[in-house]
Amino acid sequence: MNEIENTETSASTRDLSNAPDMIVCEGVSKWYGDFQALDDVSATIKEQEVVVVLGPSGSGKSTWIRCINRLEHHQEGRIEVDGIELTNDLRNIEKVRSEVGMVFQQFNLFPHLKVLDNVTLAPIWVRKKPKAEAEEQAAALLERVGIPEQADKYPGQLSGGQQQRVAIARALAMEPRIMLFDEPTSALDPEMIKEVLDVMKELALSGMTMMVVTHEVGFAKEVADRIIFMDDGQIVETGTPEVFFSNPTEDRTKLFLSQIL
Amino acid sequence: MSDLNITGVEGTVAIKPPPETPKLPPREWLKENLFSNKFNTLLTLFSTAILLMISRGLLSFIFNPERQWGSTATNLRLMMTQAYPEEQYMRVWVSVAVIFTLVGASMAIWNAGSRVTLRRLGSFLLSSGVVINILTLLAPFSGQAKLIWLIIGSAVAGAGGTLLRVSDKDKNISSLTLVVATLTAAILSLWIVPFGHHSFVFERTPRSMAETGTVALTTKLPWTIMVVIGILAYFFGKTMTSRFPSKNLRPTIIGIWFLTPPTLLYLVLRDPDFDMGHVLNTDIPIFLIFAIAGGILLSWLTRPTTGEIGRVCAALVLLAGFGMFFTPMRMIIRILMLLLATFALAAPTFAGDSKKQRRYVLAWIGVSGIITWLVTAVNTPSTIEVPGDFFLGGVSLTLLVAIFTIVISFPIGILLALARTSKMPIFRILSTWFIEFVRGIPLITILIFFSIMVPLFLPKGMELSEVSAIVIGYSLFSAAYLAENVRGGLQSVTRGQHEAAEAVGMTTSQKTFFIVLPQALRVSIPPLVGHCIGVFKETSLLAIIGLFDILYIARNVIPNQTEFLGSTRENLLFVSLIYFFFAYQMSKASQRLERRVGLGER
Repeated sequence: MNEIENTETSASTRDLSNAPDMIVCEGVSKWYGDFQALDDVSATIKEQEVVVVLGPSGSGKSTWIRCINRLEHHQEGRIEVDGIELTNDLRNIEKVRSEVGMVFQQFNLFPHLKVLDNVTLAPIWVRKKPKAEAEEQAAALLERVGIPEQADKYPGQLSGGQQQRVAIARALAMEPRIMLFDEPTSALDPEMIKEVLDVMKELALSGMTMMVVTHEVGFAKEVADRIIFMDDGQIVETGTPEVFFSNPTEDRTKLFLSQIL
Repeated sequence: MSDLNITGVEGTVAIKPPPETPKLPPREWLKENLFSNKFNTLLTLFSTAILLMISRGLLSFIFNPERQWGSTATNLRLMMTQAYPEEQYMRVWVSVAVIFTLVGASMAIWNAGSRVTLRRLGSFLLSSGVVINILTLLAPFSGQAKLIWLIIGSAVAGAGGTLLRVSDKDKNISSLTLVVATLTAAILSLWIVPFGHHSFVFERTPRSMAETGTVALTTKLPWTIMVVIGILAYFFGKTMTSRFPSKNLRPTIIGIWFLTPPTLLYLVLRDPDFDMGHVLNTDIPIFLIFAIAGGILLSWLTRPTTGEIGRVCAALVLLAGFGMFFTPMRMIIRILMLLLATFALAAPTFAGDSKKQRRYVLAWIGVSGIITWLVTAVNTPSTIEVPGDFFLGGVSLTLLVAIFTIVISFPIGILLALARTSKMPIFRILSTWFIEFVRGIPLITILIFFSIMVPLFLPKGMELSEVSAIVIGYSLFSAAYLAENVRGGLQSVTRGQHEAAEAVGMTTSQKTFFIVLPQALRVSIPPLVGHCIGVFKETSLLAIIGLFDILYIARNVIPNQTEFLGSTRENLLFVSLIYFFFAYQMSKASQRLERRVGLGER
């Protein structure tokens, strides 16, 4: 993990213009009652691209990311994930969900299952993998996120950072092509944030397509290919980290950056 | 912070142990806990006076020479099994032995028992000795009896006091050893202490006789054997645990536990008179056809590649199963068809590689075999001849109705709770209506309805004994309440858990089965056990509809025997002790269960 930290190769130097589209959103809108949470959001995310979504709280970033694996339903517009359009058709939703891994702010590990079972449950029952194979893969994934020795503990016995790394391993066990991160470090103590971000960096460098909602500007600068800034349910500004942080065009972006930097 | 020695984020953390709380000398302890201010002093004096008055009243009731305790002692067997025939009483003892074996083995396999410090034991003995002495002084004993009890009380207190003083702080003893020691002492007392030999023989005059000496051999010998069996079973369980992994052993024992009540009832106690010709020509062929055809169907349904068409097939089987209730058909075929439909509907959830397929098919064959056997046994006449409708009564009937009701109402209650929280309106509305309807009716109404009315509504050729009808009615009643308890648990599962399960692509049934239900049931353990205790105690309503449960025997049967006219109060006091014993054990079991499942969560 330390080696990755020291190599200052930002993923943003890659040229992804020829890569195929992974997530396509066209005019996505969503309302909670009368409140419009998403307003005509359109964006395309390429394969292997790492996109960080920034914005003040209540700006619709989480809602948007949760629409992509249909935890929330959009009411207008079109979302296509890896060529599959998200509609009410249950089979499409199940197919998309097994392609898309998700990591939550509150970890949401299954508290009644041991760490190892947390990771193997979905591969065994959803992917129909043999148990031995799933356990082997889970051990390898726990090794990859740096906690192989915790496999036989319950989630409640781990620290927040360790729990979030288990959650990442659980998502990776489904061998997803896209990973969504919904404020993965917001519920963590400061000294635990780094261990989770390190795992995410390693994942980004390995070529995973990632969409990350976060407030970690350092992570965004270092790892992101593109920053999307949202406010009031709309995409306000999009750009590479270099341009976005040093040379924002919109006033709203400037105000936001002046408050967080 | 200087006491904390943190080495790295994941390293060991050495923490200085907290200082020991100093023990207060008795006088100061009394002052602090009972007489700390004027109001508390008043409260202490007041409640002590009340306690003494109640104890004195109770003791003078119990030891009043007018009390007919002989009525209880003579009718113990009547209270336990009512009129179960003497010649076949061995069957009762076999059943008790099976239960003792299972209890002993399970205690070993689940590592029951904890460590009790000798000091705690000492203070327990000391306080019970003091209580014995106080009660002796209050009781209306003659001079000699008083002296003997005072000596016993002082001996117990003295032993406790010595233990408290002599033993180290950390010296402890297994609680199981204490239980075994208590049981052995109780059994020994049966052989030594002259409790008196009470007998009741119908053809003899006088029918009821009380001789001096120890209890009858037909009482003390079987109980001695039972305790020995229980202890042997414990050591057998220990050897099993060292030989087999607990993840295989525990499910096996749980399975045996579930099979025990119907086996004991229908095979051992009821002694069905099987017609082997009918069994070989009809029942076994039907089972084989279902086992093989169902096995083939299920192994196809559990293949991961079978898609929607599998669900359609399962729905067709379900329709066929319901349809069979409208055509003349053997009950066994109807039941097996519905069972197959249930298995077929659940098949996609458990689909997987060939190992999982094989396991699912085996589960089907096992369950259908058990159901076939049960239905056959229920339909076979019994050889046990008793005066009433049902061959059991007293404590055994109470326990029987309670156990069957609890076991049957659990799955129904869980399904109702799931239906009530489901997104599908038809399930939600039906289950809400059912729950609200049942909860709006008194239990006694339901019991009367099921004991009198339901036999009239049954399709032609179908019979149901009164007890079965009542168990069904009581189970539906209990399920409605249970569903509300489970629903509370279901709602306590956070939205994040649902989302996490959905995000890894689980289907709704997988999510329910693997994620939601385990957490919901764990949260609802306290209310569920409370409910079970309630079900157990409310079986006393059976007395009102004239079944010979323990309350009916104590209140209506014994006090009407010519020898013991009017002995209601003695027997009611004894019966309340029996209810308390079982209810208290359930409550204790729930506390242990909570501690056990709470372990992983922290």
